[in-house]
Amino acid sequence: MSRTRLSEPAYGILLVLPMFVIVVGILFLPTAYTIGLSLSNFSFIKGAARSFVGLANYFAMFADEEFRSSLINSVFFTGVTVVLELLFGLVLAVILNRKFVMPGLLRATVLFPWALPTALNAIIWRWLFNPDFGLFNSILVTLGFSATKINWLGEIPLSMFSMMTVAIWKTSSFMALILLTGLQTIPADLYEAAEIDGAGFWYRLRRITLPLLTPSILLALLFRSMDAFRAFELPFALTQGGPAGSTQTLSLFGYRQFFQFLKFDTGSAVSVIQFILIMALGALYLRVFRTEAD
Amino acid sequence: MKGRTILLGLAAMVLAAGFTFASGSSESQKSVSIQFAISPREVGKVIPDFINGFEQTNPGIKVDWLQVPGVPNEQHTMYVTDLASQSDKPDVIAVDVIWPGEFIANGWAAPLNDYFTTADVSKYLPGMMNSVSVDGKIYGIPLYTNAIHLFYRKDLLDKYGLAVPKTWEELQSEAKTIVAKEGNPDLVGYISMWAQIEGLFMNYLQFMWGAGGQFFDSGGKVTVNTPAARKALTTMVNMIKDKTAPQSITTYKPNDAMALFRQGRAVFMVVQDFVWPMLNASDSPVAGKVGMTRVPYFAGNSSANTVCMGGWILIVNPYSKNKAAAAKFIKYITTEQAGLKMAVDTGSMPALNGMQNNQTLLEQYPIAKQLYADFAVGDVRPSARAGAKYPELSHEMQLEIHSALVGEKSPEKALADAQANIAKLLGQ
Repeated sequence: MSRTRLSEPAYGILLVLPMFVIVVGILFLPTAYTIGLSLSNFSFIKGAARSFVGLANYFAMFADEEFRSSLINSVFFTGVTVVLELLFGLVLAVILNRKFVMPGLLRATVLFPWALPTALNAIIWRWLFNPDFGLFNSILVTLGFSATKINWLGEIPLSMFSMMTVAIWKTSSFMALILLTGLQTIPADLYEAAEIDGAGFWYRLRRITLPLLTPSILLALLFRSMDAFRAFELPFALTQGGPAGSTQTLSLFGYRQFFQFLKFDTGSAVSVIQFILIMALGALYLRVFRTEAD
Repeated sequence: MKGRTILLGLAAMVLAAGFTFASGSSESQKSVSIQFAISPREVGKVIPDFINGFEQTNPGIKVDWLQVPGVPNEQHTMYVTDLASQSDKPDVIAVDVIWPGEFIANGWAAPLNDYFTTADVSKYLPGMMNSVSVDGKIYGIPLYTNAIHLFYRKDLLDKYGLAVPKTWEELQSEAKTIVAKEGNPDLVGYISMWAQIEGLFMNYLQFMWGAGGQFFDSGGKVTVNTPAARKALTTMVNMIKDKTAPQSITTYKPNDAMALFRQGRAVFMVVQDFVWPMLNASDSPVAGKVGMTRVPYFAGNSSANTVCMGGWILIVNPYSKNKAAAAKFIKYITTEQAGLKMAVDTGSMPALNGMQNNQTLLEQYPIAKQLYADFAVGDVRPSARAGAKYPELSHEMQLEIHSALVGEKSPEKALADAQANIAKLLGQ
């Protein structure tokens, strides 16, 4: 009996069609449109006429000192924060993996910074960093560690490190969460066996924990690197890119092109450059991931 | 059951649409209808009264209030979309004081010289009119205004027998004297909003104007790297170096400065007038000890405009089908009577000359006397001349000024770079 007149491939296509339309509609079309804009001279301030200008916007961006410094800021920010987050995350994960009195409460506490929205976080830290009535300077000056007030967000390059501190404080716990799931998949008898054979803590860490944790580490690195490279709310709410543009990330630079200067052409070029770099980063991680898995 | 409900709903909608259409078309034969776009945020309270009053005195014109979101950037995007697509609505649009330049450059604001005589125009604050005047034509009328002022500690000046400073030279020496004599490590001489924000550019302009400089020369060429500009920026840098202002000033926004001053930890402050009620609230440590005056100038430039103004401007959509009615409405809501009502009901000050003598206003807002004295020596940011490139121009200035303030560049180098980049930006 044939209840369906559709062939099996056709039936399959029909089933995936809704999802296909959604993915094309919200993912591929806007991306293609952005790439199109980046090759045009479309901008609200130049009127509605648009024409094809090839790679001119890309050349203009790489010739722009502010673009280059924003790119360097983003790369530097990503490199430093992701590595330190991984280290802190690993330490946190190992601690959380021990059986404590109230593991649930402890885990919730550690996750608290991650649960706070970035913009809110940035505002809280702006007050902590405030040179005249912020917490850090109060402590340092009151306890006599520093004779002068430290201008956390007003000096180059200190402001960048202050901003990194906020990012690390917030997302180390996210790293810890992913690494913790990895840790919990490592069978306890492996450790017991190693212990019987006389392996110490460091030996076990190097030979059992880290190798078996590699997939989780790579996953955490992939997520965090992509996220850090896109950092926008943090500089936007913390420093507005100041002092003198020294904490302006690529996303903040792109935002200004789009929404402040209404230059959709160069703004799109920035987005596409960012897109390509993030894709390349993702591809790199996946490649390492595959080699490790083999 | 469900199908019937939907059918009924559809029928009701068709009927309703029919009625709307019918009433709309019969109306348009008798009268014209204009749409007025303004956010309810600041002066929303008086808009219905304005509209009722206008409709009563002008029976042939209906006004419809388009309530737009309170966030200026969102409004900007809306209007740009409407005007770029040549929509004939809204007819009257309230825009931020730094937008008319862009709108005029793109042909998005109708010239109003046919509707406002020179005598009409002379009623409005000249500083605000600068934001809508290009090549002898006017493209907008200011609705309300605010500005940056110098706030000072009356009690501290009195204590050491010092006069309210008129010049930057006096301000710097008085600040040093008071801070030294008070001997309080938490007291700073001067605070303002010198973070990398729009307010930094406003602050810089006041120093530059006060040194006798202008951002554009009479021929429209950008003149950023001049002796006046160097004097302005060097003074700002030196105020940080000699500790008149704390290092932290380069991270401060208006509210941060207000918080420090309100705690009694600063002698002088330059920010917008909105802080006045907060400084004088009953729980404020400095309530009753604060004075307000015009922003200083450099010795010898007493006639310079030093008060950088903000505010909102009414423009007429050039694609509007009822420009005359739109202009009539603008005229109606910017009279002294309307302005007074707006000030009393909302606290927003009308952009009119001579309000410092209006007894009704002074009874409710004694500070208005000083506000209008300052507005009289006010000017606006150079957005009318910069046109659509203003946001980029401002950003470039913020970057270069900030580079000098934090010691990345010398003031000379920063201004030379700004001059080169802005000339390139404007194609000069």
